Amino acid sequence: MEEIVFGIGITALAGALATVAGAAEDTESDIGSQGDPNSQVQLAPQMGYIHRIFNKAIAGEPPAYGLWVALGAGLAWAFMAMHINPILAIVLGSALAVFVQGVYATTAYLGRTASLAKFGQPVYIDILKSMTTVTMAHAFIAIFATVAMCHLMISALGHPFPLPLLGLVWGIALGAAGSATGNPFYGKERQYQEQKFGAGVPISASGNIVRYAEAGQRNSLDNGFFSAKLGGPASGVCFGLIVFFELWRTVVFEPFAAGWGAVVIGVVVILVFAVIDRYIEVWARKTFGPYTVPEEASS
Amino acid sequence: MSVKIEVGAGGIPHNQILIYGLVGSIVLTYLTYLNTITQTQYFAFFGGLAAVAALIWGTDTIKHLCSYGLGTGVPSAGMIALGSGVIAALVGATTGIFAPIVAVIVAAIIGAVAGVLANHVVRMDIPVMIVSLIELAIVGAMTVLGLAAMVGGTFNFTDLVTGTTTFLGFTIQSYEASVIGGSIIAVIFMLAAIAIQHSFNACLGPGEKQDRTLMLAAECGFLSMIPVAIISFAFIAFIPAIISLVISVVGWFYTYAQYIELSKRDAYAWLDAKPILEPKGGA
Repeated sequence: MEEIVFGIGITALAGALATVAGAAEDTESDIGSQGDPNSQVQLAPQMGYIHRIFNKAIAGEPPAYGLWVALGAGLAWAFMAMHINPILAIVLGSALAVFVQGVYATTAYLGRTASLAKFGQPVYIDILKSMTTVTMAHAFIAIFATVAMCHLMISALGHPFPLPLLGLVWGIALGAAGSATGNPFYGKERQYQEQKFGAGVPISASGNIVRYAEAGQRNSLDNGFFSAKLGGPASGVCFGLIVFFELWRTVVFEPFAAGWGAVVIGVVVILVFAVIDRYIEVWARKTFGPYTVPEEASS
Repeated sequence: MSVKIEVGAGGIPHNQILIYGLVGSIVLTYLTYLNTITQTQYFAFFGGLAAVAALIWGTDTIKHLCSYGLGTGVPSAGMIALGSGVIAALVGATTGIFAPIVAVIVAAIIGAVAGVLANHVVRMDIPVMIVSLIELAIVGAMTVLGLAAMVGGTFNFTDLVTGTTTFLGFTIQSYEASVIGGSIIAVIFMLAAIAIQHSFNACLGPGEKQDRTLMLAAECGFLSMIPVAIISFAFIAFIPAIISLVISVVGWFYTYAQYIELSKRDAYAWLDAKPILEPKGGA
């Protein structure tokens, strides 16, 4: 019994770390217009809309975060193998992973923008200076929290995977959670405030992203404020719940039916969430959406 | 380094890069074998240079493949390259001194199968698909083999699955403390998969220039070498790891500075804290 209580405690702690990681991840990727907001930021200059939005296309978020977290975990693993205290090792590993992330972000912005010279999009060096550091800070939180969570799973719950492999798996999951949950807030709504809610992006509006702020010109830090308010917490709740339920079902139900208990509970959790999601979607469309025919949504 | 990156107006033809990349990465990987011959670890950094040579070639291959309108497929190309490559590299590593050659052959077979599946089963019907996937699988295999040799000091499989840990003052052999057992190979996989696709993914667009893209490929390679060199402190002696780290940092710094220069050359304007320049005709 005591073992299960301890397991649940670790599960809750891991879930809390995951929530922080998810929130930081989505804010980071939205400041950099990574993931699905990227296509419109990339398209805007080609349609004549010159902008001051950061455009760091490194890969999709899942592969990118797969790398950052696996790298942070790998470096932390190596430092621990050199007999450095785990907390210090995780901090150092995450810091070095963030260095790699920052370099990738700058090269992505410079490359994409230089290749758009034909359309008159200049390279704004101040964007690089001010926004890379902000994304690095958020990425550090996301990487540190995820690697710490993976270390907890291994040292406290006895997970059999080595730290770098667990980092890879959970990094991809983190990127996927942020990409699927957080990006729509920014990518489909904030970038297109001129369009009606839920109107999608018709071809005629392609690239017509919001470039001017309430006062002056918008840059990606404004998107960071917005993401921190809605998309980030939503991603955090999503990733936190994923981690929590994943560990909870294992800790509590693994003794049943030689491990099959955890599998069955996993399927049940997925079904319950599918029903909840469907209910919320239908409710939101009826309450807020100007459209009722689903086809209009996919333009 | 065996790959020259200065190009003229037309750029280097792809086949030339292919030959430089293939021969360069095999030769450089073999240079890490000097470790086994001389019973030292000072030559581990050649593995990283082999990865850089392979990545430059792979970037040019991705550029050719993705010029068939695979905009969002660029990162996927990196993933399939390393997915095929890591299997080939591990199979190759079991064959001792023949490792690089066997890795190339096995990778070519895996790449060909993947290419045939993509073109004839999934029906993507891209003319260069099969050749490109063969090339990418080989690039992936050489990158993994090179970086694994850099981190562990050798590309020999038995040495990659045995590490040493100190327990109560005794040094014992342990699988968990090895390059593969500790899953450092997973870190190498992701480092290489992002590095191989990043250069073209970052530079794509109508103003893409070959020399800038390839310089970024070299930069990504050296950047990937830096964490690998740091991780290698856990596996090889202090001085060889320091040599790897210094070479990675110097190479990275040089290529990064060069890349920024090339971006400055190609950019429409290079502005600091200036407002949006609306186009003359109006948006």
